[in-house]
Amino acid sequence: MTLLEEVARLEQEARERISKADSLASLKEARIYYLGRKGPLTAILKSVKDLPVDQRRQVGAEANKCRVQLEAEFTEAEKKFSDTAPRQLIDPTLPGTAKRLGARHLITQVLDEMCAIFHGMGFEIAGGPDIETDYYNFTALNFPPDHPARDMQDTFFVEGDRLLRTHTTPVQVRVLEKQKPPIKIITPGKCFRNEAISSRAHVAFHQVDGFLIDEGVTMADLKGVLVAFCKAFFGEGLKLKFRPSFFPFTEPSAEVDIQCFLCSGAGCQVCKQSGWLEILGCGMIHPNVLANTGHDPEKYTGLAWGIGVERPAMLKYRINDIRLFFNNDLRFLRQFI
Amino acid sequence: MKLSYQWLKELSGVDWPPEEMGDRLTLAGTACEYVTPTAEYMRDAIVGHVLELGPIEGADKIKKAIVDTGADKLEIVCGAPNVAAGQKVAFAGVGAKLVDDFVIRKVRIRGVESSGMICSERELGMSDDHSGIIVLDDDAPVGAKLVDYLDYDDYILTFELTPNRGDSMSAIGVARDLVALTSKKLRRPQFELIETSTPASGSVKVTIENLEDCPRYAARIIRNVRVGRSPWWLRKRLLACGMRPISNIVDITNFVMLECGHPLHAFDLDRFGSDEVVVRSARDGEKFTTLDGQEHTLDPQVLLITNGKEGVAAGGVMGGLDSEVEDDTTSILLEAAYFNPSMIRKSRRKLGIVTESSSRFEKGTDPNGIEYAINRAAFLMQELCGGEVEKGIVDCYPSRIEKKVIDFRPERCNKVLGSNYTTERMKQILSDLELTVEGDGPLKVTVPTFRPDLEKEIDLIEEVVRIEGFDSIDDAVHTIGPLYTRIRPEDVFADDTRAVLTGCGFDEMLDHGLTHSKLAALFNPDLPQVKILNPVSEELDIMRNSLIPTALVAVGHNIAHRVVDVCLFELGKVFFAGQANDDWREEERLVLAVTGNSPQNWREKARPYDFYDLTGALERLAEHFRWPQFSYKPEKAPFLDEKLSCRLMLDRRGVGWIGRVDDEKARRLGIKQPVMIAELSVDGLIDTRAKALGFEPLAVYPAAPRDIAIVVDDRVPAGDIIESVKKAAGELAETVEIFDLYTGSQIEKGKKSIALSIIYRSQTGSLSNDQVDEMQKKVAADLEKNFNAEIRDK
Repeated sequence: MTLLEEVARLEQEARERISKADSLASLKEARIYYLGRKGPLTAILKSVKDLPVDQRRQVGAEANKCRVQLEAEFTEAEKKFSDTAPRQLIDPTLPGTAKRLGARHLITQVLDEMCAIFHGMGFEIAGGPDIETDYYNFTALNFPPDHPARDMQDTFFVEGDRLLRTHTTPVQVRVLEKQKPPIKIITPGKCFRNEAISSRAHVAFHQVDGFLIDEGVTMADLKGVLVAFCKAFFGEGLKLKFRPSFFPFTEPSAEVDIQCFLCSGAGCQVCKQSGWLEILGCGMIHPNVLANTGHDPEKYTGLAWGIGVERPAMLKYRINDIRLFFNNDLRFLRQFI
Repeated sequence: MKLSYQWLKELSGVDWPPEEMGDRLTLAGTACEYVTPTAEYMRDAIVGHVLELGPIEGADKIKKAIVDTGADKLEIVCGAPNVAAGQKVAFAGVGAKLVDDFVIRKVRIRGVESSGMICSERELGMSDDHSGIIVLDDDAPVGAKLVDYLDYDDYILTFELTPNRGDSMSAIGVARDLVALTSKKLRRPQFELIETSTPASGSVKVTIENLEDCPRYAARIIRNVRVGRSPWWLRKRLLACGMRPISNIVDITNFVMLECGHPLHAFDLDRFGSDEVVVRSARDGEKFTTLDGQEHTLDPQVLLITNGKEGVAAGGVMGGLDSEVEDDTTSILLEAAYFNPSMIRKSRRKLGIVTESSSRFEKGTDPNGIEYAINRAAFLMQELCGGEVEKGIVDCYPSRIEKKVIDFRPERCNKVLGSNYTTERMKQILSDLELTVEGDGPLKVTVPTFRPDLEKEIDLIEEVVRIEGFDSIDDAVHTIGPLYTRIRPEDVFADDTRAVLTGCGFDEMLDHGLTHSKLAALFNPDLPQVKILNPVSEELDIMRNSLIPTALVAVGHNIAHRVVDVCLFELGKVFFAGQANDDWREEERLVLAVTGNSPQNWREKARPYDFYDLTGALERLAEHFRWPQFSYKPEKAPFLDEKLSCRLMLDRRGVGWIGRVDDEKARRLGIKQPVMIAELSVDGLIDTRAKALGFEPLAVYPAAPRDIAIVVDDRVPAGDIIESVKKAAGELAETVEIFDLYTGSQIEKGKKSIALSIIYRSQTGSLSNDQVDEMQKKVAADLEKNFNAEIRDK
């Protein structure tokens, strides 16, 4: 057998050992056997210098080629058996042990998100009592006594000639009594309506009302503020629709529909196939409201809006029952950690 | 309110498709919620002819009819009480789709194969009437499509109008908006009333005693009417407006109300009881039976139409039973009146009735539209009932309500809206709405009395923008505002509290704040309650006066749903009434509640939540907000277990309670496991952090840690021990902590072993061992003296 034949035989034999190897150890053993310092291939390479000149070149080249080839094949084969990661000191897959976090209530989170958006536009928060007088909740807001507009908001009446505020707009009156324009305020908080509790309605809900009063405030400003808010809260690229409506404390008044963000306006169950979702009410502050609080309605104009928290939260997070917000069921609360 | 699409099209000349008409009206503030076809379930029906009608053996309620459909003669089983041979009927054959998507199949009933159905109004989706089949006129062409024969291809527009728009509660009112949107002209119905020579004033007198609530009352007398069924065109209109036809006289009053928005009432003059109408306030306790058969006990909030002796109608709300028009009525007293909207509102609330009339009067009708309404109805009674109309309107209207004139500045309109409409366009819109516009500069706009909602310039500005559309105003891209917007301390406080407590593993709950008086009294029998006068249910009849019951309801809810490990907090208000105007109190409080076991992991076993989980969280809050240290003073609260009930003290001030909820009270909420609860008032604690936060130079000199272990009587409070150590060590004790606590077999019974770690440090130099030993001796001596402590490992 010539040396060249011997190289070819070794190469073939080594390949068989590689393909039959069943562990990393057997591969390593084979590698040492064939390619080690005392292995047959090394021996052949060492002997090359003793060969006749005409053979030296060819045998040397072949044997070397074989060695490089086998090295690569052993390395490749070893990968199959070896873990890529080095062995660890501990089991890193055991769960970590930091203290469990509690969840903020989803309404808090959505309320905070809305407030943050308006804060970014320069609105400051103001608050007021939940138990109000008729004056702040209705009369100062231009609800005439015994007007059907009062039926728009089913009211809880409380002893002592008080009521549970039906919106957070009474805070607007309280602020207007104390401050001079420019005024740029949001009034987040709880409100109450005397409605039978169902999956769509509850006795209490939250609102983020807001208003801006100064010289030269226009309906265009109102649209701009609300378009910016809706983009920030619901997402870019949604269309808004302003529909004329009626609220005693604004004139002109409008309701805002946003293009349904679940179906992009194509029509789905949530938007009742209309492609639109009713989201908020707004308008230019009625001159009577400004006059009632001692501001000159000729000099100042104001924009105002009221947006609920529960309904947008339900739409955004696909919650089908408003009662979940007040049940305080941990299976619900902890979904929003 | 429902209106017919065809009708609106006729009156306005606007021929937008139904859906578009609805959408455009909505965008102009006349909100159309639905558009529904009238004939959806009539498409497959035809005119049939009942050739024969015979009995079915063994059945007395149903009969066998042979119906000619033009193409076939079919056997049909029919159970309607009013079916008769020779009738032309509405017939639906096999495969026809009727209301509720019911599809007719061939069926065998009592041995008769029935190949179709003779239909009622309900089955064809026309109304809810299922009392009998529809009987058509004798000249109806057999085999014709029913929808064509009846000319019933229409749409119903259902409106949800805002309460300010009384003017749009009629076909003419809505058509007026359509006309304004398209700059067309309203096509008012034209008619010619023929009066007899007998003056109506000889038949009836009208006196108004309460002019404030009834500024105008007009009456007409129509004689020799024949009460019967209205012609189809009229019934069709009413059906397409969602109203049930009753009889020609009643249908006419309803039709005119739908047409022009003014409610009318027809009395049977022969049953009226006198020849005079007296309008007055009802007397306290006066009885009156409305035409729905309900007897009411009245008070002066109700305006009563009387015959001089007794009530015949609750003015503007509902007529009386005794003077109702019946089949044999021949003389009509037709009423058209204008009532004060706020009286109507009080009256209908008192009576508990809302009618088509009351909802129109309440929103404001046109006091000067009365002539049109009463003449139009009289004309129709003349045309359709053979009535003879007596001469003149008996009209009591002592002080005429005049049109308002409002100054309108076009530049102000653009200034408020941020628009750039031309004066010409604004003038046109206002004129198209049938307002009269005159002058230049500030325009003089005369507002007809059918628009009582238009009182000021701003109302006219709204009219302009609602017709022009909000899309005509560009969205601003920046607004006026301050350079800096403050965040209120209370908002920072709430946010930080939530951050600290959720970090401590507490979940936030939220309650609506209404609760049950009995529940509140169970937990806090002595606390006053704020009562709700019109509660939605008995269980929600007060505003809460403590956060504890509502928190425990939440705990109970979770336990009932098998979530037994609960760790909750809430930031919320409690409410207290005051005597005087301004001392109503709404207090911001924080409640923490734990029950069940703490979460476990592979390293730490679960353990029952206890008192220290609450104090731990409170102490984290105190640390964050730089409050002084809490202390817990044993004192019984009504809702806590007497063995673990403490006043929560801050700076020797009671701020709340902490302890274990009384088992018996917890059980009332379905809770059978121990619950720890803490409630504190946070008013006055909110802006402490910002004030107290400050830098202290880092310590330069080394610390000297020492431990001390003592055995004391186990009733000695740990807090007192710590205080004693701090006092003894003085300023040199940087921290004093308990690092071990032991009771058990290794020490004497009734004793506990406490080990404390003290870190001594001076700000002025390194402490020597001797100095520290000296301090330790002092600490030990005090402990021995104060608590009779045995010092271990001395």
